[in-house]
Amino acid sequence: MPDHVQLDPAAIDATAVRIPDVSNGLIDRSVYTDPALYRLELQRIFARAWNFMCHETQIPNAGDYFTSYIGEDQVIVVRGEDGAVRVLLNTCRHRGNALCRAELGNTRTFVCSYHGWTYGLDGKLIGIPGKADFYRNRIDQAEWGLAPAAKVEHYKGFYFATLDPEAPSLFDYLGDVGRVGIESMLNYGEVVALDGVQKNVIDCNWKIAVDNLFDWYHVKVSHNSASRIGFLNQAAMMPMTQMVMLGELGHAIGGPMVTREEQARIDALSDDERIAIDRLPDAERLKVTPTLRRPLRSSETKAAMGPVGVRATGHPNIFPNLWISTRGMQMSLRLPRGPSRTEIWWFTVMPKSFTPEQRRAAKKFITHSFGPAGLLEQDDGENWSQSTMASQGVVSRRYPHNMQMALGQDEVAADPTGQKAIETRVNEHAQRWTYRCWAEWLRARDWPELLATRSPSPTGRV
Amino acid sequence: MTESVIGPALQYEVEQFLYREAALLDDRRFGEWLALIADDIHYWMPIRRTVTVENLRLEYARSDGMAYFDDDRNDLRMRVEKLQSNSAWSENPPSRTRHIVSNVRILEVKGDEIAVEAAIHLYRSRLNDKIDNWIGKRRDRLRRADGGFRIFERHIFLDQTVVLSTNFSSIF
Repeated sequence: MPDHVQLDPAAIDATAVRIPDVSNGLIDRSVYTDPALYRLELQRIFARAWNFMCHETQIPNAGDYFTSYIGEDQVIVVRGEDGAVRVLLNTCRHRGNALCRAELGNTRTFVCSYHGWTYGLDGKLIGIPGKADFYRNRIDQAEWGLAPAAKVEHYKGFYFATLDPEAPSLFDYLGDVGRVGIESMLNYGEVVALDGVQKNVIDCNWKIAVDNLFDWYHVKVSHNSASRIGFLNQAAMMPMTQMVMLGELGHAIGGPMVTREEQARIDALSDDERIAIDRLPDAERLKVTPTLRRPLRSSETKAAMGPVGVRATGHPNIFPNLWISTRGMQMSLRLPRGPSRTEIWWFTVMPKSFTPEQRRAAKKFITHSFGPAGLLEQDDGENWSQSTMASQGVVSRRYPHNMQMALGQDEVAADPTGQKAIETRVNEHAQRWTYRCWAEWLRARDWPELLATRSPSPTGRV
Repeated sequence: MTESVIGPALQYEVEQFLYREAALLDDRRFGEWLALIADDIHYWMPIRRTVTVENLRLEYARSDGMAYFDDDRNDLRMRVEKLQSNSAWSENPPSRTRHIVSNVRILEVKGDEIAVEAAIHLYRSRLNDKIDNWIGKRRDRLRRADGGFRIFERHIFLDQTVVLSTNFSSIF
């Protein structure tokens, strides 16, 4: 990275921002409303973290691009002539103009529509109109390429980028819990992204959308109508058998689990038998499956996820804002657009080995669950929006949100392999963990300080 | 079976049908609306995207990809029952909607089936301060039945790309 593209952690006076103590599960409402805290989040969380960009199959060919965001910074994710995926800030180095105004496409160059500065797929500045006549060749063209992300890496085809050169490797960043999350999408081997990312905007704080993904308490009430019309199977939500895994830096998995007994019955099946069961229509499958949750994970997946991780069938969040959802076939980004505005994106991936019938059934389930028209998500958005807005009153904001469910009442158990989990009923452990880590990210001035001060994954009573 | 010919009489008949259908939705007579939907309905809204002129072929996500709506009749039945329940929180209190149907053009008549395209403006007023304006075109296929029409295909092409709304809890 050139010298003059240094990150500036002191761009706001971080010492003047009050970071609330959230360790007791009481969440000060400023967390959802304070513009200074929000600016600090952009600096110290999004500009520092590994952010999900896209799946490799979304940009298979040279020149394919997909535009995304890191915090509020626009980026272009592009595959070069050399096959490498690069992430470039989508802003012309001349006057800051947005170079690429499309959501996706294929191109050979990025040409600025203001004065025509032209960049290659690798971000190099390859053309300056009037370089000789107007600049009189007094410009160092090599110095004015597009600003690249500090690092771009992928885990099994899922691409992430960070703007901070001090960030650890993606593998280390994800840790066991983050990797278990991604492995949950690879149960049937290689996947392909379906064409089309659903995008909509909700007037809510991004963290309200994030903590909701761990929230199995809201299902019965928020999604009551989806149960009444016969879409949602309440039994499959299993509020009394839940597992939570807490990973360093804020990653977590929370929700239903496969019990040890059910796992033993799955282990007794061959992989072919598991696949055959998952290919049955829901009603037929119910008669023979060892567990309600789909899919039955293969022996190879168990090896990748670990003996505890393989039983976690709840929702993983890769900190800060990537939810792995919908039976391991979807990823949802909660992109910040201001303290009280969030863009929700839904990516969909499916195993290449799916039969057309499996693909059709999965697509139907997905389309009717999530996205703005989803029978579940329709009702979430309005709750998040009203929770954000009604937290803003000058007196209302004196009263903290309560996130204390099961606080101090559960144990983290460690497996001989080192994997740790809480086996319990509906709870708010993962939510509390997310906010505790969030505060640690905000307090640390840089990556070395964050790595030195972050909480270890909890053990014992939580 | 009535043979239809493209002309003022059919134009009038189709327009009046579409206006009546719109009124049923706006008046929350969802059950009567559902009765106008054929058993083999495909109700679909593809994902539309901002793309350059050179990449216009990518403007809509492929039909085997993801969509906002990809419904059959049972899915629409669930949406209607959800709208009629008192625990669909995105619709309690209910939204006020107005379906403006305009620029109605009959594209094709084949036996008892009629393809029609119209511009639509769905206005939603929600709670006290939420406004949504969804504008686009609808391609419908109607089939004559019981002295009227049944809709057996409705494809909705919105003019927004990123959906600037909390949700789609209304029927287009």
